[in-house]
Amino acid sequence: MLSLTHFMLLSGALFAIGVAGVFVNRRHALVLLMSLELILLAVNTNFIAASHYLQDLGGQAFALFVLTIAAAEIAIGLAIVVVVFRSRETIDAEDLSEVRG
Amino acid sequence: MAFQTLLFYLFGAVLLTAAVATVTLRNMVHAALSLILSFFTAAMLWMLLEAEFLSILLVLVYIGAVLVLFLFVVMMVERHTPTIHHRRNYRLVALAVAGVMAAELGAALIAPDFVPASAPMPAPLGHSNTQALGSVLYTDYALAFEAAAVALLVAIVGAIALTLRARPDHHRQNPAQQSRVRKQDRLRLTDGRSEPPC
Amino acid sequence: MDIPVLAQIVVGAVGAGAVLAGLGVRVLGPKAATAITIAGVGLAFLASVILAWTYAQGSAPQAVDLYHWGPGGYGMKIGFLIDSLSVVMMVVVTLISLLVHVYSIGYMRGDPGYVRFFAYLSLFTLSMLLLVMADNFLLLFIGWEGVGLVSYLLIGFWYTRARAPSAGLKAFLVNRLGDFGFLLGMGALLAGAGSLDYATVFAQSEALAQQLSPFAGLSMLSLICLFLFVGAMGKSAQVPLHVWLPDSMEGPTPISAMIHAATMVTAGIFMVARLSPLFEGSEVALNLILVVGGVTALSMGLIGLVANDIKQVIAYSTLSQLGYMTMALGASAYAASIFHLFTHAFFKALLFLAAGSVILAMHHGQDIRQMGGLARRMPVTAATFAIGSLALVGVPGFAGFFSKESIIEALAHSDLLLAPTAHFLALAGVAVTALYSLRLWCYVFQGDPRSAEAEQAQEPDKTVTVPLILLAVLTLAAGFGVEAFLYGGLLGDALVVHSAHDTLARMAEHWDGILGAVLHGFAAPAIWLLGLSLLGGYFLYEKGYAAKLAPAVSGLQSVLLRKYGFDMLYENWFVRAAHAVADACARTGDQKMIDGLLVNGTARLTRRAAATLRLVQSGLLSHYALAMLLGLVAALGYLLLRG
Repeated sequence: MLSLTHFMLLSGALFAIGVAGVFVNRRHALVLLMSLELILLAVNTNFIAASHYLQDLGGQAFALFVLTIAAAEIAIGLAIVVVVFRSRETIDAEDLSEVRG
Repeated sequence: MAFQTLLFYLFGAVLLTAAVATVTLRNMVHAALSLILSFFTAAMLWMLLEAEFLSILLVLVYIGAVLVLFLFVVMMVERHTPTIHHRRNYRLVALAVAGVMAAELGAALIAPDFVPASAPMPAPLGHSNTQALGSVLYTDYALAFEAAAVALLVAIVGAIALTLRARPDHHRQNPAQQSRVRKQDRLRLTDGRSEPPC
Repeated sequence: MDIPVLAQIVVGAVGAGAVLAGLGVRVLGPKAATAITIAGVGLAFLASVILAWTYAQGSAPQAVDLYHWGPGGYGMKIGFLIDSLSVVMMVVVTLISLLVHVYSIGYMRGDPGYVRFFAYLSLFTLSMLLLVMADNFLLLFIGWEGVGLVSYLLIGFWYTRARAPSAGLKAFLVNRLGDFGFLLGMGALLAGAGSLDYATVFAQSEALAQQLSPFAGLSMLSLICLFLFVGAMGKSAQVPLHVWLPDSMEGPTPISAMIHAATMVTAGIFMVARLSPLFEGSEVALNLILVVGGVTALSMGLIGLVANDIKQVIAYSTLSQLGYMTMALGASAYAASIFHLFTHAFFKALLFLAAGSVILAMHHGQDIRQMGGLARRMPVTAATFAIGSLALVGVPGFAGFFSKESIIEALAHSDLLLAPTAHFLALAGVAVTALYSLRLWCYVFQGDPRSAEAEQAQEPDKTVTVPLILLAVLTLAAGFGVEAFLYGGLLGDALVVHSAHDTLARMAEHWDGILGAVLHGFAAPAIWLLGLSLLGGYFLYEKGYAAKLAPAVSGLQSVLLRKYGFDMLYENWFVRAAHAVADACARTGDQKMIDGLLVNGTARLTRRAAATLRLVQSGLLSHYALAMLLGLVAALGYLLLRG
């Protein structure tokens, strides 16, 4: 019998993997973006699971908005990566430290 | 019931594996493909949760458009990517933070005041998740929906503005200039005699 | 014309002259400025005379309420109280001012600050008029401060000279000290009576006398009077706040005449007389006034014996005469005080302007040791100076006789505790006055010229001599106002005297007309003293015994030359202490606390904080992400632990 806890454990694990990915791939801007996608996917899964178990469509609506914003974010993020790549021939995030105090 | 549980574990296992592969694989293309796989299995899980519309949406729009865009960019910059080498101590920090986070999330689930709702009855035949979601979106969440649309528009404009570059070697038509042109600019009347070379 | 219109003409004309000349300092030529200011003062004088005529025929006091600028009931308004006292003062002020204006045409000719000078002069007159015409303490205070301010400007008029600016500053600061007392007095008045309007306050004087002040044993009224008298001491240069007056001689001579005769120094006397309903209720204050006046009268006269600057001698004589006026106030003989102020205004203006004439002839030399024998070369100046001196000394028949003799008489009749002391001091002062006046006369006008300038001295032109002659005539005439002032009730309705100390009423019993007073005067002890001291002075200065006597009294002489050490005391203690305090404030307060700690400290703190905080800004994406996630972990942990 599947319960809410199952899905939440799963999305929690997914979330943790995403977080770990952010740190492990701290130099590679593209993989950073991918890790962020994983995190958002975990969040969305959580929303939908809660929506299903609480019988409230609000969770799904929220997931839709998260998807929308995530798509926008990816569009801008990729554009930035492209621009950075064009001007610097690299996407190493460790090199992008002009704003260093 | 047992079949659904089986599916859950199956997709869950695939999802987590693909996710781990996404963040660990050195090959960027492989990583991107793993990301697509994880999204795909997540869509299957959402189907289990009776969120059919979002599930299809994730596959069609997200995987079909966004992640493919990802793949393009990956392929474009792949040759120049830094060789990914993980520093050991940093990876330990990463795992520690992620571990603590996972532990905390788990602790939240087993906390005494977290009472999971019992599984609802499956939706009756003929129930349309799309219709239900649409009726919610266009009534209760109309404003947020519009705002999300604007956000997307801004993202489109922003992405184009960022990546567009003027190519001086490209010849383009300028309709404004074309319509403003007068006869004198283009036409010169001569008396028919040949002109000496200048 | 009715009284309010005339009163407004007086103030308006002088004010317009002052403002126009002041605003037009860079535009107006000397002639225009002279015309404007003299026209203003002249008009004011005419209006004052008409007013005086009205009041001489017995008009009732009239309040002219023009404008209220504060909440009602506190007396914050511009309003005039026109009665016999203020009218007398207005006549004196405008007349002396007019003469000084005319005199200044000749005296200041060619001075680069000519127009400025006339503007100041009119402003001075305006302030003084506001002071005497006010019907509430605040307007009085405005005039009071205006006089102080303009005196500062005028004493330091020749600001390029070495000592003029500091003399002006000294006058201003010492006056501020007195003003502080005055302000405290006003505050106490507001606390006690709840108003600053004369009429309201006077009506409550009985109640104030019953009220106890925070200081044990003093009634509220006494406290108010003592504070107010401190203000009068500053303005009227009473010991120990007299130090500014001799130094004020740094200003142009017409200013000295103005300050000493008509404005400024008489302000304190006028103020006490105006507030007679208050002072009458406080014997403590009256006793203090008596003794302060007495000490001033004698001690300042003595310094006049050793001063060598012609203006300084006259300045010390002013101080001494102010002492007499103050004593008269103390003895409740307010009318006598105002009368002495009245006569003094004329003969002291005369003396100063005559001295100015001498100074002009000496090419701005003021040392009497350089003069001598000027009587032959400057007959008009000498004659008028002689008239002024005789009036000052108090020879029977001359103005000073009537006024000063009345004061001494009043002191003899007073029942106050310290009246006998004051009487003695006043008598001694008469002798001293005679001595220094004779000394001055002998040094300046008798004997042989002691310098090249003195040999070539010439009478200045008419703008100088005409005011002198006019003033001399007025000086001769002024004394005969004694009957009207003291016994005729000219000031009767403006001054309030308790029957317990009504000295003038007692004197009135013996009064038998002016001729009788003159004849009687020859028998008075003061006149005997005067004759003796004139005789002694004749031998000392004319026959040259002074030089032989000098070594014997060198100790006394050095004390006098140091002016009893007041200046030294103030310089060494107060000025130095103030400097030390200011220095400490500047160093620790301003430089260290404000500049160092607050201003630079803020900058330093910001810089240091920024230097520390910028280390956090590594510019590395991962660090920011880590920080965010650590925050998330912490927030989650907090939520879990809270349960």
